[in-house]
Amino acid sequence: MTFPGGVHAETYQQDRALIRTPWQWLWFAGLIAVLLLLPFLGANSAVGIATVIGITLIAVLGLQLTSGCAGQINMGQSAFMGVGAYAAGALATNLHWSFLLTIPIGGISAAVFGAVFGLAALRIKGFYLALTTIAAQYIFTFAMLKLPKKWFGQSEGLRLDPAALGSFAFDTDNRIYYLVLAVVALMTYGAWGLMRSRTGRAFIAVRDNDNAAEVIGINVFYYKTLSFFIGAFYAGIAGALWAYYVRYVQADQFTLWLSVWYVGMLIVGGMGSILGAIIGTVVIRLMQELITVVGPMVADVLPTLGGQFVFAAMNMLLGGLIILFVIFEPRGLVHRWNILKESYRIWPFPH
Amino acid sequence: MGSLLSYVANGALTGLLYALIAMSFVIIYRSARVFNFAQGEIVIVGAFLVWTFMSAFDLSVWVSVPLALLSSMLLGVLIERVILRPLVGEELFAFVMVTIGLLIFIRGVVLVAWGPEIRFFPVVLPVAAVKLGSLVFDRALVIGGVATLVVAAIASWFFNHTQLGLEMTAVAEDHQTALSLGISVKRSIAVSWAISGLLSTMAAIIFLNGKGMTFLASDIGFAALPVALLAGLESIGGVVLGGLIVGIAVGLASYFLDPIFDGGVGAVFPFVIMVIILLIRPTGLFGWKTIERI
Repeated sequence: MTFPGGVHAETYQQDRALIRTPWQWLWFAGLIAVLLLLPFLGANSAVGIATVIGITLIAVLGLQLTSGCAGQINMGQSAFMGVGAYAAGALATNLHWSFLLTIPIGGISAAVFGAVFGLAALRIKGFYLALTTIAAQYIFTFAMLKLPKKWFGQSEGLRLDPAALGSFAFDTDNRIYYLVLAVVALMTYGAWGLMRSRTGRAFIAVRDNDNAAEVIGINVFYYKTLSFFIGAFYAGIAGALWAYYVRYVQADQFTLWLSVWYVGMLIVGGMGSILGAIIGTVVIRLMQELITVVGPMVADVLPTLGGQFVFAAMNMLLGGLIILFVIFEPRGLVHRWNILKESYRIWPFPH
Repeated sequence: MGSLLSYVANGALTGLLYALIAMSFVIIYRSARVFNFAQGEIVIVGAFLVWTFMSAFDLSVWVSVPLALLSSMLLGVLIERVILRPLVGEELFAFVMVTIGLLIFIRGVVLVAWGPEIRFFPVVLPVAAVKLGSLVFDRALVIGGVATLVVAAIASWFFNHTQLGLEMTAVAEDHQTALSLGISVKRSIAVSWAISGLLSTMAAIIFLNGKGMTFLASDIGFAALPVALLAGLESIGGVVLGGLIVGIAVGLASYFLDPIFDGGVGAVFPFVIMVIILLIRPTGLFGWKTIERI
C-alpha cells in the first residue's frame, strides 16, 4: 500500500496501524457515523437492505479468506451458512440458549463441517475441491431434511424467538440492524487482521503456489484446512444472524445457487482483498435491489416479458458481469478503485 | 417393480444416461482443460431447442432433432469463441469462474427466452415401457443406454485412431507442447465444445422424453459429476464403466436405504460416492496422473 507524501512511520506501532492519515480517520469516522445513523436517515427499507448486505458480507468475507486469500475454491458457502443457521436455531428453540452463545456455536459448527470437506484438500486441488464443496451442499440439504424432527424440524424448518438480552429483545428491524452491524464490524476487523498476520501470508503463499509454499516450510495441508475452517466459521456466523433476522430456518434458504452468487460477488469485487469483498457485496446487492424495484416497472411497460423477468434479469446481469470481469478485469473493482486512488494522489503527474 | 433386480437394472440404465452427460464434460476437459460447470444448463438449452422446434414451430421429429443437435453444436462453438478463447493460457481459477458465470448467465437467458413454467417435452422416442420378464424399463432410457455405448465406442475410436482425435488428445496432454508440434489448440477446443453440445442435447432427449420439464432440470449436470470423477476426467471409455458403477450403486442404495430415510437417497448418494472417490483416488479409475513441478 502506498501513502500520500509526508506519511512516514517512525515506530513499529505507527507502521502497523490500520488508519494512518488524518483524512483516513475523517473518512472512517464519517463511515461509522453514517452506518450508526442509518435508521434515522433514510426510509425503513434502507435498514432492511443494509441488514441483508451486512449478513451477506460476513459470508462473502469468509469466502474471500478461503477462496480469495488461500486459493481454495469453495462452492459450499451457503451450505456452511445453513449449518450455522440450523445449529443456532436448534439451540435457541430446543434448549433456549442465549444468542450470545448460539451465534458463536453456530459459527464453530459450520467451521467444523467446512473443515471436514476441506480435509479433501490434502489430496486434491483446484476445481476437484469445488466438487467436494458442491457435494457438501447436497449432503447438507439431505441431512437437514432427514434428521430427526425434534432437532431440525425436517421440511417444516425451525422458528426462532427473537434474540434477547434479558428483557431487551432484538425484535425490530432497527435493533437487529445494530446487532448485525456490530458483528460485521468485528468480523471485518478480524478478517483484516488475519490478512496481515502470519496466517494470512501463509494463505497467500499457498494460493500462489502450494508446492513452493510446502518447500519453504509452510504446512500446506494445515493452512488449507484452516482456510476452510475460518471461511466456514464466517459463514456460520452469517447463517446464525440470518436465523435471528428472518426468525425462520429452512433448508431451501441455503441453495447451491446462493453460493454461486457469493462467488460472483467476490469476482466482481476482487479476489484476495477484504475491501474487494466489501465492494463486491455492496455493489451486487444494491444492483439486486435496484432490479427488484426497476424490473416490475419494465415488466409493466413491456408486458410480454412477464413476471419472471426480474429473476432472469438478475441472473443475466450477474452471469454477464462475472464473465466480463474474468475476461477483462480479473482483479475486480477493487483494482480499479486502487488505480483511481493512486492517480488522484499523484495528480498531475502520470506516475 | 420393487424387486432388487429391477432397482439394479434401472440404476444401470440411469447410470448410462449420466455417463452420456459425463462424456460431454470429459470431452471438453480433455482438450481445453476446462471443467464446464455450465454443462447442465447446456443440456437444458438443448432440451428447450428440441421443444421449440417441435412444439412451437410444429416441425417433424426428423427435422427438429437434427436442427436442435446442430444448433447446440453451434452454441458450443459460440461459447468457446466468445468466452473461452480470450482466456487461453490463463490460470485455472479464471476458467472455473467463467464457467460459473456462464452457468448463471445461461440460466437467465433460458428464463427470458422460455420462462419458468412447466413444458411438456415432445415424445421423440417411443414411451411404451419395455418389459423383460418381470422387469419394466423406460424405453427412452433403454435406447439411451444403447446410444451411450455406441457413442462411447465411436468417441474412443475417434480420439485414438483419427488424425483430429489424436491431435485433440495431444492438446489434452499439454497445450504448449501441442502448439509447438503445430497442432491448432483453438480448433481442437472448438471441436470439443461442438461435440459436447451435441452429446448434451442427446442426453436431454433421452432424459426428458415425454416428461414435464422446467429450467430446474439442469441439476442433472451436477448429478453427472460423480460419474465423470469416478471414471477419471480424461477417460472417454471409462465413463461408461463409471456410469454403470454409480448407477447400480445408487440403485442399491435406494433399495436398501430409502425405507430407512423415507426416500430421497437416490438424489444424494451420487455425491456421497463423489466425496469418497475424491478422498481415496482423486484421479478416478482411468484418469491421468500428473506430476507437478515448481
